[in-house]
Amino acid sequence: MSKFKNFLEALGGAFHLILETIKIGFQRPIYTKLILDQIYHIGVRSLPLVLIVAASSGMVMALQFGYGLAKFGGKLYVPKIVSLSIVREMGPVFACLMLAARVSAGITSEIGSMKVTQQIDAIRALGTSPLKKIVFPRLTACMIAIPMLSAGAIIVGVAGGLMVGSLELGLDTQFYLQKIFTTIKLNDYLSGFGKTFFFAFFIASTSCYYGLTVTGGTQGVGHATTKSVVTSSILIVAGDYFLTKFFLVIEQWL
Amino acid sequence: MAIIEVNNFSKKFGNKIVHKNIEFQVNKGECLGLLGGSGAGKSVILRSLIGLEKPDTGSIKIEGEEIVYKTEKELIEIRKKVAYVFQNGALFDSMNVFDNLAYPLKEHTKLNQQQISDEISKILIEFGLDGNEHIFPSELSGGMQKRVGLARSIIINPHIVLFDEPTAGLDPFNTIKIQETILKLKEKGMTSIFVTHDMPSAFAVCDRLALVQEGKVTCIDTVQNVKKDENNIINQFIKGYYV
Repeated sequence: MSKFKNFLEALGGAFHLILETIKIGFQRPIYTKLILDQIYHIGVRSLPLVLIVAASSGMVMALQFGYGLAKFGGKLYVPKIVSLSIVREMGPVFACLMLAARVSAGITSEIGSMKVTQQIDAIRALGTSPLKKIVFPRLTACMIAIPMLSAGAIIVGVAGGLMVGSLELGLDTQFYLQKIFTTIKLNDYLSGFGKTFFFAFFIASTSCYYGLTVTGGTQGVGHATTKSVVTSSILIVAGDYFLTKFFLVIEQWL
Repeated sequence: MAIIEVNNFSKKFGNKIVHKNIEFQVNKGECLGLLGGSGAGKSVILRSLIGLEKPDTGSIKIEGEEIVYKTEKELIEIRKKVAYVFQNGALFDSMNVFDNLAYPLKEHTKLNQQQISDEISKILIEFGLDGNEHIFPSELSGGMQKRVGLARSIIINPHIVLFDEPTAGLDPFNTIKIQETILKLKEKGMTSIFVTHDMPSAFAVCDRLALVQEGKVTCIDTVQNVKKDENNIINQFIKGYYV
């Protein structure tokens, strides 16, 4: 019960931290260089991981569905099923789970180490704000880089499925491409892509919060990093259900 | 004229009462040494003077301005006037020495890049650190880290400097270097508080000494009186009779 209470406290704390950060983040001066640095660290350096995972998951899904559906004569449905599930669910969720592990761990351990070595206190003592200097650049970078990486993951995932479909399952490439374009509608893409902004928010808020609340030296940094990865992953997986419902309702309105 | 005034300062962490009704004043240009056993809460007092900790009750005035109820944003102006020298330097480990020193100049002055470089070159020579601009903190010795930390704190000419054990763990050469720097700052009229266990340094740089015991300031006296009066509480503390 106390663990659940701590979890809820952390969620509240993270949300409050982000509200405070947004309040002062857009006031001058805006540290553009720090934001660009973070986009490089969070975005560019995560690119190989995200693309490899996306390609593999697309390939594996195509393979599994191909052999599974072949038993019922349904191999021709592979392009539709694989591309739709990657665009709406698997692409964004897998990419963000990978990023939750890599980015959350990186941010929390970096901020946590700064906390235990009094560098966060030094930022404050030198008349500057850790929210502006540390949290805002990471939050902004996550909100920009994570959706872009996820968009890339969706494309590469579908391409992975296409590759296995044509090379391994013997499906015609033209046929596969045609099925992708006739199946995937803009709202499918926006539903999957739209979620990634929420996932980016979950990753940035929890990782910064756990980093800034580290206590207990280097061991505390380790604990905080684990908690950060677990919490952001849980938020992504659990939040995905509610976000799917939310986007389905929006699609019905449109 | 008192530049720092602390009245009825109380602070507890959880159920542990660290301070109850701490009171002291520091006059302009004066250096007050804050003594006390390990865990007596000297650093907590120091951190509170710059708003890094909030007291539970009481008042802290810096140059006549109450800081206890100020927000983080309002405290920025206070922190330009009051510098804090951390025990371990607290240098930004992702930045080299030059960038660490440039940090306060970029944030709080309108100097251009050339003027910033000139200021940094000047202070590096003053602190015997010239030639180390491009070295990262992890490659510096403990003494050099402390000197860079001290240089970073005073580079924008604050009115008050708070020293948290600046000579702890240093060899005699570096200790004397730090003492000389503090004495130079005093000559320029800078007010300071010096938390330390290093009595030779305290005697060398402080005008008065205050003893923190069991959450209270039990004695404040001039260095001369402490040295000459065998029965003075601070004198006895230095000799190891009290903790």
